[in-house]
Amino acid sequence: MILQKHLLAFSSATAILACLSQPAASAPWVRGFVVGTYEPAFRYGGRTGYARAGEIEPGSDCIHGNTIHFSNSEQIRRALSFQPWRSPEEIKIVSTLPGLEQAKTPDQARFMIWDRAMSYRGWRHGIETYINPFAAQDPGQPEVVSRIGDGFNLDGKIGAHDFVSPDGEKGIDNALYRAWGCDAPWRGNGNATLDMRSNDKMQEGLYTMVIRISGNQDPMNDKDATLEIGYSPDKIVKDARGIVTTDFSYRIAKTAQYTKMKARVANGVVETEQVAELHAPRIAWFYDHAGDAEFHQGRIRLAIDADGNAKGVIGGYRSWRDIYAQNTFAQDGGQQGVREHEDGVALYYALRRNADGMRDSKTGQNMGISTAYRITAAAAYVVDASKPAEITALAPEEKRREAYLRIVNNMKKATTTRIVQDVTPGTSEGAYPNMERDITGLPIADYLLKTLDRPHFDDPPGPQASK
Amino acid sequence: MRKGISVAILTAGILAGVGQLPAMAAGGEVVSMRRLTEQEYRNSIGDIFGKDIVVQGVFEPGKRIGGLIEASAAILSVTPVGFDSYSKMADSIAVQATSEKARDRLISCKPGSASQPDDACAAQTFNHYGRMLFRRPLTSDELQSRVKLAANMTKASGSFYTGLRYGLASLLQSSNFLFRVEVAVPRDNGYTLDAYSRAARLSYLFWNTTPDAELLKAAQTNALDTSAGIATQVDRLMASPRLDTGMRAFFSDMLQLDNFDNVSKDSLLYPKWSVQLAAAAREETLRTAITLALHENGDMRELMTTPKTYINRNLAAIYGVPFDFDADWVPLTFTPQQGRSGIVTQISMLSMFSHPGRSSPTERGVALMDIFLCEPTPTPPANVDFSAVNNTDGPLKTVRERLMAHATNPACASCHTHSDPIGLSLEGFDTIGRPRSTENGKLIDVSATIQGKSFVGAQGLGRFLHDNPKYPACVARKLYSYAKGVDSEDVKAREFKAATKAFGDSGYRMRSLLKDMTQSDEFFHAEPPLAAAKTTKLASQ
Amino acid sequence: MKLDRRFLLRGTCQGALAVMGLPFLDCFLDNKGQALAATGKRIPTRFNTFFYGLGLTKSLWVPKGAGRNYETTEQLKPLEAFKQKMNVFSGSRVMIDDNPNFQHWSGVGASATGMSPSKNGQFDSKTIDQTIADVISRGARFKSIAAACAGDPKQSYSSLGGPNNLPAEASPLSLYTRLFGSGFQDPSRTDWKPNPEIMLQQSVLSVVAEDRKRVTQRLGASDQARLDQYFTSVRESEQQIAAELKRPDIEAKVEIPTAPEEMTVNSALPNMRKVLPLMARLGALALATDQTRVFNLSISEPGSQMFVPGDPLGYHQSTHEEPLDPVLAYQPRVARYNVYSMELFAAFLKELDAIQEGDGTLLDHSLVYGFTDVAFAKIHALDGIPVLIAGSASGRMKTGHHIVGEGSPVSRVGLTVQKAMGLSVDSWGGGSMETKSPYTELMA
Repeated sequence: MILQKHLLAFSSATAILACLSQPAASAPWVRGFVVGTYEPAFRYGGRTGYARAGEIEPGSDCIHGNTIHFSNSEQIRRALSFQPWRSPEEIKIVSTLPGLEQAKTPDQARFMIWDRAMSYRGWRHGIETYINPFAAQDPGQPEVVSRIGDGFNLDGKIGAHDFVSPDGEKGIDNALYRAWGCDAPWRGNGNATLDMRSNDKMQEGLYTMVIRISGNQDPMNDKDATLEIGYSPDKIVKDARGIVTTDFSYRIAKTAQYTKMKARVANGVVETEQVAELHAPRIAWFYDHAGDAEFHQGRIRLAIDADGNAKGVIGGYRSWRDIYAQNTFAQDGGQQGVREHEDGVALYYALRRNADGMRDSKTGQNMGISTAYRITAAAAYVVDASKPAEITALAPEEKRREAYLRIVNNMKKATTTRIVQDVTPGTSEGAYPNMERDITGLPIADYLLKTLDRPHFDDPPGPQASK
Repeated sequence: MRKGISVAILTAGILAGVGQLPAMAAGGEVVSMRRLTEQEYRNSIGDIFGKDIVVQGVFEPGKRIGGLIEASAAILSVTPVGFDSYSKMADSIAVQATSEKARDRLISCKPGSASQPDDACAAQTFNHYGRMLFRRPLTSDELQSRVKLAANMTKASGSFYTGLRYGLASLLQSSNFLFRVEVAVPRDNGYTLDAYSRAARLSYLFWNTTPDAELLKAAQTNALDTSAGIATQVDRLMASPRLDTGMRAFFSDMLQLDNFDNVSKDSLLYPKWSVQLAAAAREETLRTAITLALHENGDMRELMTTPKTYINRNLAAIYGVPFDFDADWVPLTFTPQQGRSGIVTQISMLSMFSHPGRSSPTERGVALMDIFLCEPTPTPPANVDFSAVNNTDGPLKTVRERLMAHATNPACASCHTHSDPIGLSLEGFDTIGRPRSTENGKLIDVSATIQGKSFVGAQGLGRFLHDNPKYPACVARKLYSYAKGVDSEDVKAREFKAATKAFGDSGYRMRSLLKDMTQSDEFFHAEPPLAAAKTTKLASQ
Repeated sequence: MKLDRRFLLRGTCQGALAVMGLPFLDCFLDNKGQALAATGKRIPTRFNTFFYGLGLTKSLWVPKGAGRNYETTEQLKPLEAFKQKMNVFSGSRVMIDDNPNFQHWSGVGASATGMSPSKNGQFDSKTIDQTIADVISRGARFKSIAAACAGDPKQSYSSLGGPNNLPAEASPLSLYTRLFGSGFQDPSRTDWKPNPEIMLQQSVLSVVAEDRKRVTQRLGASDQARLDQYFTSVRESEQQIAAELKRPDIEAKVEIPTAPEEMTVNSALPNMRKVLPLMARLGALALATDQTRVFNLSISEPGSQMFVPGDPLGYHQSTHEEPLDPVLAYQPRVARYNVYSMELFAAFLKELDAIQEGDGTLLDHSLVYGFTDVAFAKIHALDGIPVLIAGSASGRMKTGHHIVGEGSPVSRVGLTVQKAMGLSVDSWGGGSMETKSPYTELMA
């Protein structure tokens, strides 16, 4: 009776209140998300507010700061001197580039020359060492020294080198962080260049990743929930501020890349079971190197906030050769080197050194490396497609993707057999023929054409001038 | 020499044939000149020359009078800037129509020589397109001047088709094309539209385009002078799916959806607003209206109450429902708990009549009274202190409280009590049409009392409008004014009384209203301005 | 409010009441829509584009306030002299839909055509300058002219759609030769000949005007007035064409200079600073003497190769290599290059503004559409791609505004521009960027 009176008093607003009511406990529930940011879970150890303009920021993760390769003549000179077959004259000319200002576009010419030179660092002439990194000397890569790291205890053990999570959980396996966390374009406090770049491209439509969680008890506490993750054919929608919008609908494509996992929800934190194969899109910023990431022993953790948005981590062992390929051949090895200042050869050795999973029983080698990726996701309606939803291929870009796959194949063949493989055509690997185009007018042009190696394709092997 | 003569004779024959068709009956007077709207122009060109003709240029803007843009078409003219654009569009259309690609399809005769004038073929072409463009046969004078022009141009350029191009261009920029000239002739004790004007009025109302061959033929054979003849054509026009096009134009005008071009929202407070959302919201409302009115032949009062609507992916995100991607547009039925009621609570209506940063009960109230009840609200006096209404930091948290404070001023109260209640009942929806229950932390009261009737919330408002006899009468008034191109406030209720009654008798079916209205004598009745002016002049002398 | 039809027709241009009436539209346009020179001859409104690569730095160029009286920002400072003659558009977005995201090209295509390109390096449709030229260039000798300040004829963002862009003149000398070399008719000479196309147009108008004599119906007074207005408009058009048949009566007091010398034209900033004013002046003279009404000037390719001698990196490479300064949160060297682009833009505007004609300057009788390829070059982001517009199109566009796009498609700017240039339909662009919403607050 009293209750009824109470309701009557608010009768004028009942219609409004009704539509805001939450689903009751012990009822089927579904929550959907579209992933808005997706980055390697590299914990930044620099001090916040560190204020010395233009300097590389050291921190507990990387005590000497970021590694920056190939950014000046001295660094190039040092890299060239590792190759015993280069003459002192060559090392001097290629690193200092006399007369560079006479090129029509000096910046571009320098870039292409260094791209070319850094692509050939083998023990002898003529070996392209992004495809055959084992043939180059290990230039070294400082590892993360911090004990704190994000991710999961994937192997169930607490190893001597494992990280401790910020919550104090021991045994965190994130060897990718240790291997590559000090690499400049991936390190930052929310402003790492390649994090920003890959997130921007994902949000602009390169791919869409959606997650759906459902259960039968209570969205905040459910012992028997299900998490699905997959691609959506529908583009991410951003709002007027440029932020991923909430409440939009996305189809989930149940292709081979779709994964369904058991999960538990406790106080709004979703933890999935560990599955042998977890598929998710991989971080990419070009169409040709975008595709799937396969996580072995994969897991997901998501914390859902009051607005229905989520933050979390995807983790598992991934093939370290895949990681090497996706990073190095995003454009070509030399471009990643001279433009982003990361050394693919250093990455190759760092990954191989830190590989800690997916042991090949025949060879005894670790084929995988433990990884963790952090995501943020906006509330969305994730719906089943009534018609089969396919991710459409971009026809004009397919040729480049094929070229990318060819070069990756050659690299895998080379690094597993240790038989030197050629540059495959169709990519810009080795800056060919871009260097030949851009050095026109340089006084050292002829010298470079005679001296520097280049990809050969159909031509007879050996250093030679192009047409 | 011999050939020249025979051409001349042939041409003369054609011209004579044209001359026999009177451009208008004796005693005709122009009762209205309605400048083509952009859509009417585009549809007409598309129907006459084909949809692949590109039309690009400035169209002079209209102005809403008596709630309708269409009413301003009858009082606006063509400015120099506008003519410049019409002239360029005319030339561009003529170039496309006479291009090598199009001429086989569009020019039914072949010239004797592609580089020499051929008056017979030119006359045949201009006769055909002139009749379509002017919505009546050309007078022999009009035709001859074009044939002559084409001949001269052919000589100057050495190409017959260049001659045709300039002739066609001259038709396309003529006042007889750019204005729908409605001519009335004396009949019985008054004046009524002549047959060709009738054809055009019917065609633009039902299909929003120029009369097709059959309508022109009906005009030519005087079939449109009989009610049976009119009924035949009206039935035909209404049976066509093109009726959607015509009624979309009407609803778009009546519901003021052109206003959407100027709607913008505060992106910090309402970041979900986007131009795509605005376009979708407009389409949602048109789909709802057209489906109910034409496809379901439903009761038009349900436009105020129906829980059914159509959504795309953008709208689903605002309505807070999943979108299933079966098609770009899918039907949606709201649950009663969602508090929606017909087009009154669609995003279009809620956002169009609101401020960028917040809802406006006053704007919503004024607009809905005007659009659905034909009760315009006077403009506010110039010296009003709005500070109380705008101060959200003070003790008055909800807009209702602030409006009430404002309405204690008797000068404001008379109008605010007239229109605000409607708007206040819609306060459960924010400025982009999302549901809400509080404003600045305080629970919103959505009760309202208007014209002695009390109701709660949008659904109460929808029911109030549904049951209000002024609403269907207003639809009839707007349709009648739209079709005739007159100010709805000047129209006397008796003019469309029979149609309104038939509307009610049919259970408020739009098709019945359309059919009855167009078959009434009043529909083609006209006041001859010249005769009236003459009388006044005589009196003053 | 009731609008009386007779009242509306009585409305005049002077009375405040007429503002509510309809003939207001006419006098409005007569006063503002077309600049009239002192001689009463209509000065044509011209269109220009200015292309620069690699965008600007968001935190340094986007003004804080919206609307008028916004505070000039660091990167807009070079343009401060023109602040009241410009509009600044921030927050525009490029929707690429199902096309690939071409770094350094998707933004160019979107800004120039209103649709995201489906092929790298190609425009999918006519660029905005050509769409405008279709309408405004009648009577001018060249439909449009393009010039590339960095010396590469490929640096032209003017196209009829498809693989071929309209090549740019790549040196001051070649630009001069094209404009004022053979075929140039000095308007001050007596043997000047009109364009034959114009004579044909004139005959059409006389037929249309003669229709007036054929009006056999009787009209009421108000419709008679409206028909009169229509025929007045026809007459004005006839007069305009008649004017084009005469030797151009050039308003601006300009002299055609002698040919410039051969000089080094490349991406080095000191050279560009010499070449740009020369090219801009030649372009301005071509506009002032009605050789063309559309002039497109570019200073770089999309990933600008501009460089300061001695800088080992140059512009494009700096955008990628230079880290974000942890304190400033932007790239200081890139920011300097951004400003160089703006200085070159200002140098262009200065040349346009230096030529007096009729009631204002050449710049006042122009629109200059300044666009670029990216919003944030380091990661090739397109969100917030800058657009800068100068000139008021003879009073048809209000100026001095900062327009915050709030994520709306960049095509809205292009649509607004076309409307101000006196053309266009109600929509522009393609895919998700097709828009029907110009920035109406700028429409005068």
